[in-house]
Amino acid sequence: MYSWPDTFLVILVLTNLVLLGSSRIATYIRVAAVQGVVLGLLPMLTHLAEEPARILMLGLLGLVTIGVKGVVFPWILLRTLARANVHRELKPYVGYTTATLAGVVALAISLHIGARIPLPAVPFSQLAVSVGLFTFLVGLFLIVSRRKAITQVLGYLVLENGIYAFGIAAVAEVSVLVELGVLLDAFVAVFVMQIAIYHISQEFPSTDVDQLKDLRG
Amino acid sequence: MDGGLLTTGMLLLPVGVGALCLFIRPPHRVLWIAAIGVIAHTLLSALVAVRVFTTGPLVAASNWLRVDALSAYHLLVMGAVFSLSAVYACGYFGVELREGTLTGAQARRFAGLFCLSLASMTLVLISNNLGLMWIGIETTTLLTAFLICVHVNRTSLEAMWKYLLVCSVGVAFAFMGTLLAGASAARLHLRTEAGLLWTELWANAAALDPFTMKAAFLFLLVGYGTKTGLAPMHSWLPDAHSQAPTPVSAIFSGFMLNASLYCVMRYVPLVEGAIGHSGWSLRILTVFGLVSIVVAAAFIVFQRDVKRLLAYHSVEHLGIITLGLGLGGLGNFAALFHTLNHSLSKSLSFFAAGRLGQMHGSHDIEAIGGSLRHAPLWGMGLFASILALIGMAPFALFMSEFQIMRAAAEGEHYLPLAVFLLGAAVVFVGASRHAIAIAWGDAHGQAKPARAARADPVLVFAPLAVLLLLGLAMPDPLRHALEQAAAIVGGQP
Repeated sequence: MYSWPDTFLVILVLTNLVLLGSSRIATYIRVAAVQGVVLGLLPMLTHLAEEPARILMLGLLGLVTIGVKGVVFPWILLRTLARANVHRELKPYVGYTTATLAGVVALAISLHIGARIPLPAVPFSQLAVSVGLFTFLVGLFLIVSRRKAITQVLGYLVLENGIYAFGIAAVAEVSVLVELGVLLDAFVAVFVMQIAIYHISQEFPSTDVDQLKDLRG
Repeated sequence: MDGGLLTTGMLLLPVGVGALCLFIRPPHRVLWIAAIGVIAHTLLSALVAVRVFTTGPLVAASNWLRVDALSAYHLLVMGAVFSLSAVYACGYFGVELREGTLTGAQARRFAGLFCLSLASMTLVLISNNLGLMWIGIETTTLLTAFLICVHVNRTSLEAMWKYLLVCSVGVAFAFMGTLLAGASAARLHLRTEAGLLWTELWANAAALDPFTMKAAFLFLLVGYGTKTGLAPMHSWLPDAHSQAPTPVSAIFSGFMLNASLYCVMRYVPLVEGAIGHSGWSLRILTVFGLVSIVVAAAFIVFQRDVKRLLAYHSVEHLGIITLGLGLGGLGNFAALFHTLNHSLSKSLSFFAAGRLGQMHGSHDIEAIGGSLRHAPLWGMGLFASILALIGMAPFALFMSEFQIMRAAAEGEHYLPLAVFLLGAAVVFVGASRHAIAIAWGDAHGQAKPARAARADPVLVFAPLAVLLLLGLAMPDPLRHALEQAAAIVGGQP
């Protein structure tokens, strides 16, 4: 069956592969912004609810998501990029080709697991659970395999995106208020991390996290 | 007074005090206002707790907030830790203010964030909505990140970055788990607003989807376990505890870890209900508890920094509490009792370590050696609290650890019992060596003369007295409270 949600989910998969295979941090930020917009559109274009009040709330949630993940986060991060003066992810712990291959394996695993999780009565796409899991894994991979502090923040964002996609698909009952709270937390998290990166760039010669190794044992 | 008003009041009071702290100029006064606010919050919590233990749960905000015996008990522990730490902070930062190492702006930021983290931990304890509970934990991470960095320097930045990233990612796992727990109720067709309510899930625990609930529990345990400091997810903990200013280390170790473990406690009866009380989740808890005890024991032996030593003690004791939960039955009771004992002794030990560190300008065990000579009060406090932490009788920690051993023996869990005893023995030998060096060793540096605050003796003797009394006899109201709270974890009404 070909439908709007599935198209969006395929876009999510492709953006994840771009994240795994590229080295320019500005690209990461733009790709994460695309993900944010796609995720915001998902609950608006699917028929998750019948009651008008709930549809309105989901629409509102979608708009806030697009605003925060698609506009505010990229803006904050691009500014941090300029201030901390980093542009490329040099020498990641895992090379880009290997990372992309690992991504394909992770996608296969996610598809396998996603098919086993029971969905609520009105599922909009079984694929969404798998794509959510895949995005979650890609975020985790970015955090552990890249060197720049700002890429780790992006990894965290991608991870959050995965959870968001998963949440829409698997749990129809999560109330909009909780989703908004989670979004607010993500917002503050990015804000706090940005301040931390600023301080790190002031105290250390660069923002490579492998300089942070004084505390041991 | 109306129960709903009391419950929401507990949330609003610290937020108000925290906001007030940002607008007061004299730094000494800011610290005192924060302390008074925290103590007022504790009194309010005590009032709520008494109501809950005598007349049953309080409910507010259309069932989104709910205080039952388990929350009320944790509220009391939290109140004790925060009140002591807030009073201690006045003396500790008072010294730094006089020396000029702390600015007024930093004092205001500390006081404001301290009160706000109290509010977010209160939210964790009183929310009945599991999503809201998660929001509380994540908010705690974000607020306390800045508390580590009250003094901005290379090592504190490193600790803050690790803490932020490891805990945010860890807690993201917990949100995945929360969603899975909600998904496990898909067959029940709950109302939208009721989907993540703990009471709803608990009432229908037997009808939850077992596979999804098991997956949820794994995610939750890894997620909340990261913030609890369970090994092997504890990597952030020694760094954050050692770099944070001492009043912050005390609330980290004394309560923040427990707040996260409290979330796991909430899920245990749900999982066990869903899988028909087969004990699957309890076995996993036991394994995590034992691994934490063993890993911590290995690191405790080789520590040179006293705050890192205490941090690894936290890993050990949270492991012991988790082990108690894993044993079930009497183990739940003992685990909750151990929570109180550990929080009191750990706060005291951090207080003493912090002041001794201030006097010597270092937290190195060799540098503060012989503390009984140059700072008898704090030296005695640190020595006694380390003895309590390694399970020396007659302190209360000995009693709670003994109860955990009894729970293991009664349940015929001999392997966990053996591993626990081995770990405890290693800790006993390793840490007592450190304790002797701290008390009677030869100091290398010169100690600055200490200016004692009036509250100092109270901060040392009050926790010690409580630990001694609880070690000798347990008062009936406490036993009653612990039994009610343990029954909730054990899955009985």
